Amino acid sequence: MTTVNVADPLYLDALGPRGAYRTRVPTSVTDVTGTEVARLSLVPPLFVTRAMAALRQAGPIPAADLDALLAAAADAFASGTIGGLNVREYEHLVSRTSGTPLSVVHAATEGTARFVRQARSSAWRGRPVGAAGGLRDSAVREGHAVWVRQGDVFAVNASGNHPGVHRLWLEALALGYRVAVRPSRREPFTPYRLVGALRQAGVRDDQLVLLPTDHRTADTVVRDADRALVYGGDDVVAKYANDPGVLPQGPGRSKILITADTDWRDHVDTIVASVADEGGTACVNATAVLFEGDPAPLAQAIAARLSALPSLPPQDERAVLPVCPRERAQALSAYLGTVAAGTRAWLGGDGIADDLGDGSAVLRPAVHQTDSADAVQLRSELPFPCVWVAPWSRSDGIAPLRDTLVLSALTRDGELLDALLSEPTIANLYIGDQPTYWMAPGVPHDSYLSDFLMRSKAVFDAW
Amino acid sequence: MTDELTILDAGPFDRVDPDEFVRAAMRWHFDPATGSRYWLERAARLNFDPRHDVKGVADLGLFPDLADELRGVRVADLIPRGYGSGARLLNVFDSGGTTGAPKRVIQLDDWMRHSTEQVNRRLRAHGLPDGGLWLTVAPTGPHLVGDVLQRAAAGLGSVGLSVDMDPRWVRKLVAAGRADDVDAYTDHLVDQCRRILLSQDIGVIAATTPLLERFAREDGLVEMINGSAKAIIWGGTHMDPDTRELLSTEVFPDVPVIGMYGNTLMLTALMERVGLTASEPCVFDPVSPYVFLTVVDPGTGEQVEVGERGQVVVSHVSKSMLIPNNMERDTALRVRPDEGHAGDAVADVAPVPTVKGETVIEGVY
Repeated sequence: MTTVNVADPLYLDALGPRGAYRTRVPTSVTDVTGTEVARLSLVPPLFVTRAMAALRQAGPIPAADLDALLAAAADAFASGTIGGLNVREYEHLVSRTSGTPLSVVHAATEGTARFVRQARSSAWRGRPVGAAGGLRDSAVREGHAVWVRQGDVFAVNASGNHPGVHRLWLEALALGYRVAVRPSRREPFTPYRLVGALRQAGVRDDQLVLLPTDHRTADTVVRDADRALVYGGDDVVAKYANDPGVLPQGPGRSKILITADTDWRDHVDTIVASVADEGGTACVNATAVLFEGDPAPLAQAIAARLSALPSLPPQDERAVLPVCPRERAQALSAYLGTVAAGTRAWLGGDGIADDLGDGSAVLRPAVHQTDSADAVQLRSELPFPCVWVAPWSRSDGIAPLRDTLVLSALTRDGELLDALLSEPTIANLYIGDQPTYWMAPGVPHDSYLSDFLMRSKAVFDAW
Repeated sequence: MTDELTILDAGPFDRVDPDEFVRAAMRWHFDPATGSRYWLERAARLNFDPRHDVKGVADLGLFPDLADELRGVRVADLIPRGYGSGARLLNVFDSGGTTGAPKRVIQLDDWMRHSTEQVNRRLRAHGLPDGGLWLTVAPTGPHLVGDVLQRAAAGLGSVGLSVDMDPRWVRKLVAAGRADDVDAYTDHLVDQCRRILLSQDIGVIAATTPLLERFAREDGLVEMINGSAKAIIWGGTHMDPDTRELLSTEVFPDVPVIGMYGNTLMLTALMERVGLTASEPCVFDPVSPYVFLTVVDPGTGEQVEVGERGQVVVSHVSKSMLIPNNMERDTALRVRPDEGHAGDAVADVAPVPTVKGETVIEGVY
């Protein structure tokens, strides 16, 4: 296992429009034990506004270069040396700082490289069938729509819960936006590597920047962009609810519904994987399982499977559970106890923090059974495998299934599926034995990002 | 009495002994014949005798931080009786009200002369020209800083065209999360500045950090300022070292960018030490014998080592007012002061960090 030499701190500079920029007093990035592993330059607002102005001045990446460029960037991301780190060193640091199991980080590297390679075709999948790609398209001759950007500069205020959050903004870059990425302070390594890889592949410094900032300055990044993607909790969603230029990505509250016509025993693998794969930290991990029948045996089965998962440091190849600083783990454990009051605990009832003795603790899974489908707990999404198992009946209707990023519906009831498909607050519907965390390039995560970035403009060329 | 009056009337460059000055000030402010009503009444509740126990600058630390009491004291009760009927009250200034109701201080004409003299002496040392027009964008009215700038301009034979700024309103907007309104207000200020810059030959620009940051977004304004201005003075709020370097080297490379640190309870402003480069810490020297700074550990109250960061404690001692041992909401690096000045100098002044506990648990992001 490669480790970073502590005597020689790793500097993560801002990647500005005129190259790397190091602040006078970079801030510490610590791993889950509290050990400093890198120093991150948080840029002041003045640097942000100047960088954003430079993005606005720069032109888009020429479409002709795009596919080759993305392919080269994907290779560099997956196997190159960027910022002095090879891919193993990079993955190790991500795992140590975010507490994400190394195997999850490793899989995410592969996945992200695939998304980078296909960013253009993914983005173009969102084009309306009635819109042409450009003025040269022969359809424009007789009056047509052309698909155009709604702005020039795109910003993303990213989260650090999973390296996979950095797949989406590539589509904006592929659609001709200039992009500013504000990384999570906890896990800045992935966006640093991705921006570095794209620059190595030929994206100019003034077309793509990495702007680490404190929380307040992050608002400046968002405000100076034409379109912005912002990750956060319910507070962030509420803050930007009325801002048409901001697309908030909030809690996923992904769920599984199993109706009486389905034998859940045939699908335990998928259910458990939906809860706990990816370390249980992604918005596509299942938060609630609703079952048309007595949920107790199902909860018991999930708990039995999850209880077998080992507690290991995140960088262990066999690790599958998330790890965080001990104090935070204890706070989360106490918080879970408060939230879970009144439910039946099948797993984690006496706490979920498992001290590793080095300042960090594993967040062990929790399984609780609620009395009803409308229990408030079902809205509670925590950053580890934590699932609420609830009874569901036809009389509950689809109300308990609302506000869901991914719903895996284990049912053959066509009418119910129609109703779920029509429900606006269910973003994605997977039918049958399909885990909630499934994603693929070209399949939208929360509608096509291009719905937010592009529009169809009528064009008539009378020449 | 005659000796005391002489030393208490000393100007900022008369090189009087700071400890001697402080002793004289104690005798003045705590003598029933000369002290203010506020201090004479307050003295009864101190657990020491200022006239006996305060033997020099260091003993100002005996005083508790009484600045909060300035929120309610009547103005007349602050004027030392020793001025008699000849007291010339020029202004009553309010603090910004960051920490609640504003605190109130008085400015008598003798102090105004001393304050202006020290500011001007230091501006001249920075090479500021005599004459020409200033543009000052600063809080005026009840706020000290606008007045300091106007008088500084006048002291250099100049006149300041001013754009008023209401910091209390901005603070309310920020607190309410109304970022759009803050932007709109800032745009409003910039519009006024733009008109002045376009139509007048402005030689000196005095503005707050956010305003300069906002100017930096407009290439036209930046070009104009680089073309015509002889100096930019920033103050009123903090400026982090990275921003200072960017402004000095990238945005306004052709104009000296000079820091000013002051606040209402200091009753004046300290100018950046002459000769610093953009990459060095921005040092502010105290003004003996009137303004004494100490950089302390906020936990223990002990002075930190030179080069270490701590909280800034300010004492103002003059014939007209005494505001000892006031714990500011600023942190700074402790620096040795310029020769002849007592106490600490400060560098890289920054706001006290607000501790943001890990309250947000819910959610995966």
